[in-house]
Amino acid sequence: MLSVSSSETAPAVRPSHVTRVAGPPSYWRLVGRRLARDPVTLAAGALLGAVALSAIFAPLLAPYDPTTGSIRLRLASIGAPGHPLGTDEQGRDMLSRLLFGGRMTLLAALTPIVVACVFGSALGIVAGYLGGVLNAVIMRVSDVLYAFPAILLAIAISGALGPGLGNTLISLSVVFLPRIIRVAEAVTVQTKSLEFVSAARAGGAGPWPIVRYHLLPNVLAPILVFTSTQVSLSIILAAGLSFLGLGVTPPAAEWGLMLNTLRQSIYVNAWVPALPGLAIFVVSMVFNLLSDGLRDAMELRT
Amino acid sequence: MKISVIGVAVVLVLVAALTGTAVAQGGTLRIGMTASDIPYTGGQADNGFEGLRFVGYQIYEPLINWDVTKDDRLATPTPGLAESWAVRKDNPLIWTFRLRKGVTFHDGSPFNADAVVFTFESVKQKDAPHFDRVGASNAGVRISLLKSVKKIDDYTVEFESVKPSSFVPYQLLYVMMVSPTNWAKVGKDWRKYAESPSGTGPFKATRFVPRERLELEVNKAYWNPKRMPKIDKLVLLPMPEPTTRLAALRSGQVDWIEVPPPDAITPLKAQGFQIVTGPYPHNWGHTLRLDKAPWDNKLLRKAANYAIDRVGICKNLLNDTCVPGTGVIYKGHPWFGNPKETYEYNPEKAKALVKQAGYGDGRRPPRAVHLISTSGSGQMLPLAMNELIQKNLKDVGLDMEVQPVEWNTLLTRWRAGFHTPENEGLNGWNISLAFPDPSSAFQRFFHSRSVIPTSLNTMPYLNPEADAILDAAEKTFDVKEQDRLLGKLHEVLVDDAPWIFIVHDLNPRAMSAKVKGFVQPQSWFVDLTTVSVTK
Amino acid sequence: MGSLLFRRLLLTLPTLLGASLIVFTMVKLAPGDPISVLMPADAGQAEIEAVKQSLGLDRPLPVQYLKWLERILHGDLGRSIATRRPVVADLGDALRNSLALALASSALALIPGLLLGMLAAFKRGGPIDKVVSAVAITGVSIPHYWAGILLVIVFSVQLGWLPAMGGPADPGVIPYLRHMVLPAVALALIPLGVITRVVRSAVLDILAQEFVLTLRVKGLHAGAIVRHVLKNASPQILTVMGLQFGFQLGGSVLVETVFSWPGTGYLLNIAIFQRDMPLLQGIILVLSTMFVLLNLAVDVLQGMIDPRIVRS
Repeated sequence: MLSVSSSETAPAVRPSHVTRVAGPPSYWRLVGRRLARDPVTLAAGALLGAVALSAIFAPLLAPYDPTTGSIRLRLASIGAPGHPLGTDEQGRDMLSRLLFGGRMTLLAALTPIVVACVFGSALGIVAGYLGGVLNAVIMRVSDVLYAFPAILLAIAISGALGPGLGNTLISLSVVFLPRIIRVAEAVTVQTKSLEFVSAARAGGAGPWPIVRYHLLPNVLAPILVFTSTQVSLSIILAAGLSFLGLGVTPPAAEWGLMLNTLRQSIYVNAWVPALPGLAIFVVSMVFNLLSDGLRDAMELRT
Repeated sequence: MKISVIGVAVVLVLVAALTGTAVAQGGTLRIGMTASDIPYTGGQADNGFEGLRFVGYQIYEPLINWDVTKDDRLATPTPGLAESWAVRKDNPLIWTFRLRKGVTFHDGSPFNADAVVFTFESVKQKDAPHFDRVGASNAGVRISLLKSVKKIDDYTVEFESVKPSSFVPYQLLYVMMVSPTNWAKVGKDWRKYAESPSGTGPFKATRFVPRERLELEVNKAYWNPKRMPKIDKLVLLPMPEPTTRLAALRSGQVDWIEVPPPDAITPLKAQGFQIVTGPYPHNWGHTLRLDKAPWDNKLLRKAANYAIDRVGICKNLLNDTCVPGTGVIYKGHPWFGNPKETYEYNPEKAKALVKQAGYGDGRRPPRAVHLISTSGSGQMLPLAMNELIQKNLKDVGLDMEVQPVEWNTLLTRWRAGFHTPENEGLNGWNISLAFPDPSSAFQRFFHSRSVIPTSLNTMPYLNPEADAILDAAEKTFDVKEQDRLLGKLHEVLVDDAPWIFIVHDLNPRAMSAKVKGFVQPQSWFVDLTTVSVTK
Repeated sequence: MGSLLFRRLLLTLPTLLGASLIVFTMVKLAPGDPISVLMPADAGQAEIEAVKQSLGLDRPLPVQYLKWLERILHGDLGRSIATRRPVVADLGDALRNSLALALASSALALIPGLLLGMLAAFKRGGPIDKVVSAVAITGVSIPHYWAGILLVIVFSVQLGWLPAMGGPADPGVIPYLRHMVLPAVALALIPLGVITRVVRSAVLDILAQEFVLTLRVKGLHAGAIVRHVLKNASPQILTVMGLQFGFQLGGSVLVETVFSWPGTGYLLNIAIFQRDMPLLQGIILVLSTMFVLLNLAVDVLQGMIDPRIVRS
């Protein structure tokens, strides 16, 4: 539902899209150059890099242990001595919690996306290329899962399985898999019908070379763009599940969970509780900007 | 001449009517409770003592009630629907109760011995058509001593206990009398009874929106003129989240909230709200499972007790709305005794005890999994407090994992004990418990005969020495001797540490300045009939 | 037209069936024994078996599923374990509140979204476009539960203008609306962003097409052009609006939790915590069915407006 594409069933890949017979590296170089020219995308990319680095190097960057705190210092304001971003309700340093929380949130959000992308693409491409019964089975199952609003499906699965990072990864993977399958299948079907593919087939080429040289290059790009639009939703959902108590459990640091526990303190110190949400917002925004930029650079208008 | 007489008469009548109305009108009292739903209104309320506090004792009454009108001493039993009771001299198993005359239920039917028998059977007799499964699971475990009841005449009943025990009357404090006539009238269905409740209490239910509100009005036919409510209407709203309650109080949506967030107490006082606190027989701790590692090891249990920074919790997390607890009972209570272990915050001692138990140097005891709740009657701030406790334990080498569930769910699972498939993986529960009377305080938890399903000794704590002291205390009808024996029992319990003792709550409540006349008793329960709400 | 509706309806049936299967399975997956919650502590084995039989839990799974499905189709969603009321009753109250919230929130998202999207498209490339696009992408990226918390902080805690939480304690339309304002705004932010972006994109597509250029050259004034554009862009716009309304109805859990708004999302939260499986099942089933039917309605509406867009 948070996809920025106008159609929820498939991005309409117009035939005016740059068609390639084989995959010349110069296309991607072209994309790269276009990306580099857009200042907004560059800025977003830089920010993403900063976020990624801070998540990876959290143990080195964090001034304190994210799970220890002194309750004497609880709910210190932003700018308090020794705690530039304040402390939470247990007296733990917010900066450290945010850094480590980033790792957790990003892990919980990106893993399902990667899983869904890999398996979803495979399933969708297979379904699109082979058609027939296999296609019907895969697509009908996807349709059923797609029938649930994303958050509801995530809650249903996590609610049934129980809290915990593992269960969150499972439920979010199940949420995103059908979406990617649908896109992959639709794009594959469209590309398959294009002239150059039938020409290749007529020329006697076997299925595997066709897939590899003709199909994949044209299909991966839209799939990737679509996937990139889902990342921000995944972040919001992953943090949202923890916010409801269905994701990561205390005392782990995770942005959604922090938002939940700090929420009870808004009458005491209003702005410290806003910080984890700000983090989610910023990262989500960065991914949206990047996916927009990617889509523009690949000249895929939807 | 005539006109002026009529005019004066009219004016007089008007004045009388207006002043009369002004006196009778006490306003509406809206209370934000910590329960997440309306407590069961079919008689034996759920949601723990908060359910009894706001629904049980307001709509219904037991044979023996609490005197909660004083704030300077512990609340004690007082005649409720029974005028008097005594054990038979020739047979210490039989208790004779003389019932109050002239009391009617809200549905109009009279309260008499039939109602008492009906009530008792509804919570004890599983094959009776009027057995209340829900009510029985709430009240059944509190009346483990009572075997049967017999009607002698319309206003006399005899209870038979399973053994001679001076604790019997204490157990009847918790059984609310329900109306057999109403049960028949609603179609012999307890669900329907809960929708049209009928008790003898000072308030009767008028409107019931599940999960949202329960509205009650004054029972104008209430039998006790000294306890006629001053307010017109009582509205109960479930608000399990502390911030929601706080927001509701500040915005004027409610007039009274239970357990305000401790951080908000100072600002609330500054804004003119009343904050009421006071000691009461409450205990907040972790009940441990004693037949499985790690808590089967007494040294580890003692270590856990020395690891907790109770002063830190009370001062910093809870803004002094609790006091450190180093036993089942708080110091100053007649049953405290003189325990050897003082359980002050001593992580070094704790670590030494862990080592003594055979761990340390990389070897850690097995992880304990404890069930906690997210809110609830007397539960204070479970999530924040437990995070701290987890940390305290981790620092000395003990690992505890918490699984939060909803309060009523916790109570249900607790009552089923550790040995069900669902609870098999647990090592402890974090339940706030009460000790208003010896039966509730000690007998239901620490006597070997009180194991599930008879009562609530879930651990199970099996100590012949404790059994002996309890039996002796039960046999004596001399209060001073009883107090002395229970003090000795407490010393044994503190030493054995079957619980991780943590704090005693000070029962904070916040109310608007418009609420007048409330007396905070040293009890879990309250008397709402003295309260009025000014405009 | 009728056949279109019939065909689409037929296609949704397997989806609904599949959804029901998932809901049923999901509950069976859940750890914990539902019986132990219902029984008193000292229930004997025979008693437990009796209750199991009466609830039909001793039959093989496919049979249980079919029996459950049969009951659902008769409108019986079972009884909530916590309140022992029929799920349908609990759900009815909550659904009313959620619908009210979704409608209010949709109004806040659809109308400004449409206007802003069109504005940005017509003024493409200019400063207005840039501002609107920035606002839109911000809206899309905001976690709505965080937005809710911020709104509470600003409007309730600091300014004290609006009540923070809950459904109203006092009856009446005005208190109801006052309590609804903040959650409706919070819920509207993401849809506002999405709709703005989609409308902008759709309108740009249309504007680029030749016939519009022709119309403009012919001297047709702005109002008529706007109408033409809207008519052509309406399929896409309607689709996204329908989907976003579905998001607000089905995905309101997080916002309702923040504000303790007594809707289906809040109920869902409670059901999860209390492990109240019948209630959980009922809510998810009803919400997803509504969502499927909503999609169906949008498809049909689209087909009616522009028969060329009929999907296979």
